[in-house]
Amino acid sequence: MAETGRLTRAPALVANPVMLLRVGLIAAVLALWQTVSVSGLLFRDVVPSLGAIAGALARLLVDPGFFGHLGTSALEIAVALVIGGLSGLIVGLALGANRLLGKAFEPYLYYLGPTPKIIFFPIMIMWFGVGPGSKVAMGVISCFFPIALSTAAGMRQIDRVLIRVGRSFRAATWQMVSKIYLPAMREPIVNGVRLGFGVAVIGTLLAETKLSNRGVGFLVINSYSTFDMPRMYALLIIVFMIAIGVNALVGRLGAGRPHIKS
Amino acid sequence: MKPAGPILVVEDIVKRFDTPDGALTAIDRVSFDVAPGEFLAVIGPSGCGKSTLFNVIGGLIDGYQGRVSVAGETVRGPHAALGMVFQEESTFPWRTVIENVAFPLEIAGVAKAERIERARHFVALVGLAGFERRYPAELSGGMRQRVSMARTLASEPKILLMDEPFAALDEQTRLLLGDKVLQIQQELKQTTLLITHNITEAVQLSDRILVMTYRPGRVKRVVSIDLPRPRTSEIVSSDAFGHYVAQIWSDLREEATRGMQDAEAHSRRERATP
Repeated sequence: MAETGRLTRAPALVANPVMLLRVGLIAAVLALWQTVSVSGLLFRDVVPSLGAIAGALARLLVDPGFFGHLGTSALEIAVALVIGGLSGLIVGLALGANRLLGKAFEPYLYYLGPTPKIIFFPIMIMWFGVGPGSKVAMGVISCFFPIALSTAAGMRQIDRVLIRVGRSFRAATWQMVSKIYLPAMREPIVNGVRLGFGVAVIGTLLAETKLSNRGVGFLVINSYSTFDMPRMYALLIIVFMIAIGVNALVGRLGAGRPHIKS
Repeated sequence: MKPAGPILVVEDIVKRFDTPDGALTAIDRVSFDVAPGEFLAVIGPSGCGKSTLFNVIGGLIDGYQGRVSVAGETVRGPHAALGMVFQEESTFPWRTVIENVAFPLEIAGVAKAERIERARHFVALVGLAGFERRYPAELSGGMRQRVSMARTLASEPKILLMDEPFAALDEQTRLLLGDKVLQIQQELKQTTLLITHNITEAVQLSDRILVMTYRPGRVKRVVSIDLPRPRTSEIVSSDAFGHYVAQIWSDLREEATRGMQDAEAHSRRERATP
């Protein structure tokens, strides 16, 4: 435990060339942005100044209306992740455990998985209406595939000898699941959830930009159509930050033990 | 040598597998018994069905003819009296050493404080005291194999079954781990059945060696090893040791040769039919 702490603790900036490069890149991008903005090379307001974006960001963060939209999107994504994640986990476990089912149905998942889900949006609107229902549905069909596929693959990758160890000690089925299968599959499952989260955000927000009057996706497209560029960039920054935060959180759950090199 | 009759009796085991080339008899009427506290090695060339025998006795494969009994009771399927140590890397990578060793106690429902206490004893027994909180990936292959052994010993089996536990290790580590096994056996009076293809290892550790034939696996000969105990790996340089090794090799040579010819014929066939 102590070792992990030492690895993840942020070291002093100056002493760490990796950190220096990362911060340097951000600084360079910001500087370039500001230069382009004041130079007037592009259309006015297409590249608003950093100050204007910061101002818009500050206004958003004190606007209760914004948090209402943010809450709507967050709830839609969360519900999508729960429904899509659980069904993906169950389907993945079934396909991974049963050779016949896996062989029969996994090709469907492989081919449907990478299909852009937005093409189903009209259907989802007809089935679930123009409200949050169709957005949740878009999130569900987005995150179901990566979670199901990585669960199935994870189940198949379990070292067979670990299962024999469990059997030799006469572990009951629930003990096999809780003490061997799930811990052995933690990494692929968490990776699936991570990918699933990413595509659930895309699916949900994309749906919000199409036909809705609520959510962060709606705000973005609304800012765009009223040509409020600073506000649009501020929204993007917020979505970006939240995505990074959630990803880091999920990643922490999945931080597995170091692997045995074979 | 046999105070109270055998503790493990293996009677007329026959195991066949269905293969694309027809039924294959892996082991054919194998019978032997093991006395309490005895160390018996089963040695044979690759393909003599010794791993199959290990899995049959351990109860991990069924569909065989014959009978396995422990202390007079017929066993079929995994049994608490039989503890298995596998050839492959088998530690749980997500558990620390102590949690790995405590695993069988956890399965048996022993309370946490007690199982950690008991596991600690077996970790020390295999010489890994001080490594309790390490993860397997932080240990060497030899240390991990000792973790597996401690884990099985922690279930306090009447009979310890080991399937080539040191096969993946280098010769020197193997000899030193052999010392460890001798010492543990001395300490626990542990009845042990070791599956191996390594003659040195078999002679170094065993009271008796059962030599098996190449496919189908049958008992070819049983050799009693009358080397003094307690032993250490130094025994490998004695005359008597060399004599036993030579004797077993002369038995095995013919079987190993058949195995090799079979493998060569097989790959020739593979090449002939692309």
